[in-house]
Amino acid sequence: MPELLSPIAGNVWKILVAVGDKVEMDDELIILEALKMETPIFSEDNGTITEIKIKEGDAVNEGDLLIVVG
Amino acid sequence: MSRKQTPLRPYFEKMSEIGKELRDGEVRRSQANVDLVREQEEIIAKEVLRVKNAGIPAEKIHQRGGMTIYDRLDYLVDEGTWSPLHTLYNPTDNEEGCTGVVDGLGKIEGKWAVIIGFDNKVMAGAWIAGQSENILMVTDLAKRLNIPLVWLTNCSGVKLMEQETVYAGRRSSGAPFYRHADLNHLGIPILNGIYGTNPAGGGYQGISPTILLAHDGANIAVGGAGIVGGMNPKGYIDEEAAQALIEGTKNFHGKAPGRVETHFDQTAYFREAHDTEQGVLDGIKDYMRMMPAYDPIMFRVAEPAEPSLNSEDLNMLLPANQKRPYDAVQILARLTDNSEFMEYRPDYGREVFTGIAKIDGFPVAFVGNQQGVFPGYPAYANGEYPGVGGKHYREGLIKQGEFVTLCGRDNLPIVWLQDTTGIDVGDLAEEAELLALGQSLVYSIEQTDLAMMCVVLRKGTAAAHYIMCGPQANNNNAFTLGTPLTEIYVMHGETAAAASYARRLVKESEAGNDLTPTLDKMNQMIQDYQDKSRPAYSAKKGFVDEIVSLTDLRKYIQAFAGANYQNPKSITPVHQMLLPRIIKG
Repeated sequence: MPELLSPIAGNVWKILVAVGDKVEMDDELIILEALKMETPIFSEDNGTITEIKIKEGDAVNEGDLLIVVG
Repeated sequence: MSRKQTPLRPYFEKMSEIGKELRDGEVRRSQANVDLVREQEEIIAKEVLRVKNAGIPAEKIHQRGGMTIYDRLDYLVDEGTWSPLHTLYNPTDNEEGCTGVVDGLGKIEGKWAVIIGFDNKVMAGAWIAGQSENILMVTDLAKRLNIPLVWLTNCSGVKLMEQETVYAGRRSSGAPFYRHADLNHLGIPILNGIYGTNPAGGGYQGISPTILLAHDGANIAVGGAGIVGGMNPKGYIDEEAAQALIEGTKNFHGKAPGRVETHFDQTAYFREAHDTEQGVLDGIKDYMRMMPAYDPIMFRVAEPAEPSLNSEDLNMLLPANQKRPYDAVQILARLTDNSEFMEYRPDYGREVFTGIAKIDGFPVAFVGNQQGVFPGYPAYANGEYPGVGGKHYREGLIKQGEFVTLCGRDNLPIVWLQDTTGIDVGDLAEEAELLALGQSLVYSIEQTDLAMMCVVLRKGTAAAHYIMCGPQANNNNAFTLGTPLTEIYVMHGETAAAASYARRLVKESEAGNDLTPTLDKMNQMIQDYQDKSRPAYSAKKGFVDEIVSLTDLRKYIQAFAGANYQNPKSITPVHQMLLPRIIKG
């Protein structure tokens, strides 16, 4: 079950999907904001969003679990 | 059996492949970006069309049996090679909507030339504001690339109603005559096709080049026939003087001086006179065949090849959202022959890439900003903050300085791919010597005698825009291109608004005042920065020399590389180059 981890420390700016959404590889799921930059998080596989571990505005650290695609 | 090969084949024939194909999902999610790029392209296309339609309609010229400047260029320039420059340049916002000249790089009879002509639809090619600066950029380009300058002169002289904007001053409309003398002195020929009436300033536009070819209806002269009639001892015009002027004008039947019967038949300034407009252009083609140019084989290190990755991908890869990072190597991979690149010190100064690629088989150096976040870098920050793509740090500045210096030694022309937000700031950055290292890069560029071109892919900001061979590198920068996504400003509008109004906000807040007026000013400033940094504005003001579609970038790089290697003033034998050996180790 692919787990998407935060590549950087920053804030969760936008969550573009909800639990149950079907997604394809390379779909944009989340946008993090850090250092005046937007860092988009893309799906690494086809599947369904089973868990979203963060909410908009949360601060995350590098390596934190963001989302699970089943 | 004879055998032939390109030099240093083991280094150049096959270099490392870079970049990768876009996946279906990447293509799918990038369509919105493509739309945003197209939106900007349409804005630029409308502006270009407006400039092309400046002055009287082309049909009027055609009805008189004449050709417009655009017709002349179409006839003269080898198909597919015209690379226009300064199309939207109009720094003083002339009512004509342009500077009255049209210029660019193009091949004539297979040889690169810098080509410029007066737009004869615009006041018969008058001197108007901004034009001399445009011409000086063009003469500088011919000098930098050491290639012929071709003029299509058709110049009615000063727009007399606005003489103060063109006539006097260090870089005024007389300066190009000195630049022509300079080019001649340096052995750079100027071919001049002369049309129409060219009095006074137009006369010197006519006489100052190297080879003069005239249309039968053309003249060049120190002044126009009627100029003495303009003298009025009263110092003002009254009814009596006006009547005298009316009568004098009605009865004036003199011909303009300096016609073909004078300057072909008598003085023999004109090498050729042609009864058709095309004949003049054919004459220029004949002379272009005589121009000095090496066969490209002399300098090629491999057979020319297109990038193996599709250039259309560029519209998906370069984010219109300026806050989005991207893989700069993916951009580079769509510009170079076979999508190959020989990178110099990839593990050092990771915020920039430096290295050698091939363009049409010619060796060409590239320097550009990487994007993204670099945890644990720069070392001098001791983990206090991570490095960010687009910024410059100690290692990157040292690497660029080294690389440029070695390129100078190896005579490699450099293409700079800028997308930069600045040089790192703060006490740690000062202790890391970034101020001096930035200027050191400027020194490194200046001490080479290399031609360089700059592409501002997205951001050109702060001193970093200068040090990465921006147009301020007057002696090296041949030209600077913008893209539909270019933004050029000293800093982002929000940063500037904060810097300008933060103290006032504190004051107003402490006094318990309404912050709205200050906020309005700040937001107006942000909007102003936005409006005055976009591609069309950047081109109009001369921040860049042209706005080019991302898919056309390679064409301009090919023009730059081809022109650079046409007749170089200095040669490093390829087998004596140092950089490829240093890269190999």
